[in-house]
Order: sequence, then structure tokens, then C-alpha cells
Amino acid sequence: MSSSKTTTANSSDTARATTRPAEIVREYGPFEGATSVGGVTHDGRRVWAAGGAKLLAFDPASGEPERVFERAADAGTAFDGTHLYQIAEARIDKIDPATGQVLASIPSPGGGSDSGLTWAEGSLWVGQYRDRKIHQIDPATGAIRRTIECTRFVTGVTWVDGELWHGTWEGDESDLRRIDPQSGALLERLEMPRDVGVSGLESDGADLFYCGGGGSGKVRAVRRPRAARA
Amino acid sequence: MDSLIAASARALAAGDALGALKRVALRDDPPALALRGIAMAQLGELSRARELLRRAARGFGSHEELARARCVVAEAEVALATRDIGDSPRALALAAATLEAHGDPANALQARLIAARRLLLLGRLDQARSALARLDGASGLSASLAAVVALAQAELALRSLQVDAAEAALLRAHDAAERSRVPALRAEVAEARTALARPAARRRMAGAEQALRLDEVAALLASDALVVDACRRGVGVGGTWRPLARRPVLFTLVRALAEAWPGDVDREALIAGAFRTQRPDETHRARLRVEIGRLRALVASMAAIEATARGFVLRPHDDRPVAVLAPPIDGDQGALVALLSDGAPWSTSALALALGASQRTVQRALAELEAEARVRAIGQARSRRWLAPPLGGFTTILLLPAALPIE
Repeated sequence: MSSSKTTTANSSDTARATTRPAEIVREYGPFEGATSVGGVTHDGRRVWAAGGAKLLAFDPASGEPERVFERAADAGTAFDGTHLYQIAEARIDKIDPATGQVLASIPSPGGGSDSGLTWAEGSLWVGQYRDRKIHQIDPATGAIRRTIECTRFVTGVTWVDGELWHGTWEGDESDLRRIDPQSGALLERLEMPRDVGVSGLESDGADLFYCGGGGSGKVRAVRRPRAARA
Repeated sequence: MDSLIAASARALAAGDALGALKRVALRDDPPALALRGIAMAQLGELSRARELLRRAARGFGSHEELARARCVVAEAEVALATRDIGDSPRALALAAATLEAHGDPANALQARLIAARRLLLLGRLDQARSALARLDGASGLSASLAAVVALAQAELALRSLQVDAAEAALLRAHDAAERSRVPALRAEVAEARTALARPAARRRMAGAEQALRLDEVAALLASDALVVDACRRGVGVGGTWRPLARRPVLFTLVRALAEAWPGDVDREALIAGAFRTQRPDETHRARLRVEIGRLRALVASMAAIEATARGFVLRPHDDRPVAVLAPPIDGDQGALVALLSDGAPWSTSALALALGASQRTVQRALAELEAEARVRAIGQARSRRWLAPPLGGFTTILLLPAALPIE
């Protein structure tokens, strides 16, 4: 894969990373009662979306809603194989996906300026929107283990096959970026159409990304590039 | 958008301005400033709201022009609420174009509506009319925006005494306001409708006096009566209209003759009223003859003015009745408010001329009226102009949540 050779690239140099248009495969929503979508996650079967005043799950095959929890869901959403994590105001709630009950809460690292959330390898990864950062934190205490500096406003964050991807959204420009988890260097980007924003990001573990669409209230499925899976 | 911004915006959309403020109170990043500004506007802190929205607009980067344009629109809406309409409309026009280009038609429409309402407040009625005509029936007009468009149209129609058109517009405003479910908007439409039922003027006819609603005023002006209109200062029959706002002496004479009709008025009384003197001499009598001659020529197509043994009498053609339309309250203040009710901007000197009073007297009356919010001024010093307050309350900030910089 050609882009993997560019690990030494200056992270602000978007020109040298592989850039291609994002291929939007399908759109879901808007969903009833959720005027905007923040975070998204995937539990292996369903897609969960943070819809502001509710956290909802839908079947990606049919697009039908399957479950709705009435609770604050302002930004990123993650799934660790057992529990859901949801950013609400300035905290991260750990939620039982069967009942919607909050089992624990930790303070969010950005104190409320947090955006994306994902779970990988025993850590939570939190995007800090306008501060252009991704924090790796301890899911039990919220303690910051490491911080990756990014070059754009960070929205959703996800790991797939050892690759770290995050969404960006600045003004009317939005894209999905694969970055080097050590240096933060930009490796590859999928450009979203103008005025189509990415507020949340999650891989389904295979060939799709699910993207929260912010104020559009939609969730979009974007094809993961073939080269990235090779 | 981050989590607290989302939570704050959610609170604001639910009408919880304090909750919205609480979540972003300590933050100075542009989205937080914008939300604080809108929450402050909803809490009635308008000058603070403008400052915050201005800072938010400045804070957004050059690549965040959509968010910036929304802040400009919100600030313009707040400026309208504070009646600060002196700013150049250029920024607002640019914001509208930006919003349109970025596929935000709802906020673009709102920007254009603010521009039209600003013209209405400035008394530029023709420009306001064409700006509103462009908005009327625009696709994607939300119920609350449609209600505000209809209210502005009603205002325009009332200014030109088109009572039927105003009632139709108010009915549209009522329907749209009900659909919008915005309580303040519904209250505003209800208030505008009751304003239509209030006395707008008094009619004096053959010694009797009666209070008239606006529709009755319109009916009187459309009837075959000769109307001496002391609100707009002029004489009319049906479609014919002789403005006398710049001829105070002639107006005083014709009003005195009309109030005495079908009787006559003696010379001394006419001289005392028109020339403001208690001791008439021969020169006054000569001047009265000259002025009556001028008046006779002006109203020749509507009525004759005949000399009687003791003075003069008004004899309308075709045996028409004669009515005087007077402001609902007497005195300089009532006369000023009546003159301003045409919605156009008046200078102090034009008002003084129309009333035949000194500028000092007019200024004093205007200052009292301004303190009671019954007139408003635009511009400073020599370019200062006076306007009637809007007939409707001109609801503002109801629509602000649509201008949220939410991505």
C-alpha cells in the first residue's frame, strides 16, 4: 500500500497522503425524536447512534430502529464487546446495552469539549473536537494515558485491523482520516462531499464505516477502501 | 460539535435558556459564545447577546463561514429587537448569500426576512413591499417564518389603510402561528388582531362625534362623503385627495369650515384659528380673503366655499355630506401620532410645518411621545427622522434557535 510509506510525512501535509472521495453506500434516518446524530458504534449486529436526547440502535440491513433509550447522548458512542460507552455533557457513561442502565461514569478528558469515542485494546479513545486531539484514557478512571495531536477538528474515532481512523469536520469540509497512532501523521483520507459532515465514526469490523451526520440526523455507511484492507 | 455544545443546544431548543447557559457559561470558543449569545437574547439581555454573537462570528475561522453567517443573522435579529437598525445591511445580505450557497435555506430565508422587516422599520415601505413579495410563498418557509412574513404584510397593508388585505394577512399569520406552536408568536398575532378592533380615529359629522375602527375609517374614506382628514392632513372625496400637510393655514380653515358644516363660521373665529390672533384688524380680513381664495381653488373640484353674512360656509358638490376625521386623542401628541401613522419617516421640520406649530413645540411633544415609546427616531441631528412604532409588536428572537451554529 503506497500510503503506508508516508509515515514520515508532516502531519499537516495533506497533499502527500492518499486522498480519494468517500464512497457513501447507504444513508439511514433521520430517526424519530433525534434531530442530530453525534456518535455511532457497532455491537457486531446493530448500529447504535447518539441522538441527543436518546440513544438508539437500528438494524443496518433493514434500517429499522430496534431499541431506544431515553437518555442524554451528546457526542461519541463506543462498544467494548459487553458495554456501551456514551459521552453526555462532561462525562462518559458506561451503559448496559440490554437495559440502558448506567453502570458507571467517569469524567471526560476534555471536560465537555469531547467529540468522538471508541474502545480498543483496553483503552477508550476520545476525540477532542476544536482542540484537535485524541486522548487514550483508562476506561475505569478516565486518566489520560497518551495524547495524539491532530491537524483538524476531530470528531469520531475508530480502530479497525490495527488502523486508527478519525473523522474531521471544519466548516463545510469533512473527511475520514487514517493516521499513524504514534506520530499522528496523516496516512490516508476519504473526502466527504461538501457540506456533508462526519460527527461520529465506527467501523463494522469489515468493509464499512458508519458515520454520524450531525445536524442532518442521518447515519451514513461509507465503504472502507480496498487498499486499506490489503 | 462537542458534547457540551450539543447538550447546551439541546437545552436551548427545548426552551431552557438557563440550562443552555449553564453548560457553556465558562467557555469562550466560538460555538460556545454563539450559544451564550442566543441564550442571553432569549433571556432579554440583548446588548450582551449582540456582543457575544459578534465575538462568536469573529472567532469562527475563514473556513467556517456557514457558522459565521448564522451568527451574523442571529446578531441582526437581536439588533432588530433593540431597534438598532442603523448598521449597513450589507453583512446581512452577504450572510444570506452564504447560507444559500451552503444549502441552509431556512436561515437564508430568515436573513432576507430580517432585511425586509428592517426596511419596514425604516419606513421604506416600497422596498419593504418588494422584499416581502419575494419571500411570500417561498418554498421551505417554516410555520414561524411564514407567520412573521404575514405579520409584516399586515403591517404594510394597515399603513396604506387596506384593511381587507390586512385582515387576510392576519388570518394567514394566525394559521401559521398556530402551526408553529410558538406561544410568543401566537400572542403577537392575537395582539395585532385586537389592535384592528381598537378605535383608530374619531369622526365628527354635523356636530356629533363617533370613534371609528380602522375598517370604519377605510369605509368612511371610500364613501361619497367629503372628508377633511385631520390625521393625514388633507381633503378627499372618493379617489380624489388634496394633501394640505404643507399648508397649515389652509388646513385649519377647511377643518373649521367642515366642523361647522352645514352651518357657517364667522370671520373672527376663522382669523383667530388660522392666524392665532385675538385682535383682528383690516389686514387680517384681507389676508383671510386671500387664503379662502387659495383654498377655494384647491378644493374647487370637490366643494364650493361661499361667503355668508358673517363669514364662510362649505358647500360640497352633489349634496355630499361632510365629515372630519380626527386623531383618537386631541392635542399636539395625538396629531403627531396621526401624522406618523403613514409609516413613512418624517423630519421634525416637516412635522412642525404640517401642524403649523413651532419646531420647539414639536420637539417637546416628540420627546414626550418617545419616552412613552409611541414614536421612534432614526438617525442623528439633521438627518433624524421620526416614525410611528410598528402596529404589531414586531416579535424578535423567536426564530433564533434556527440560527444555531450546530453542524
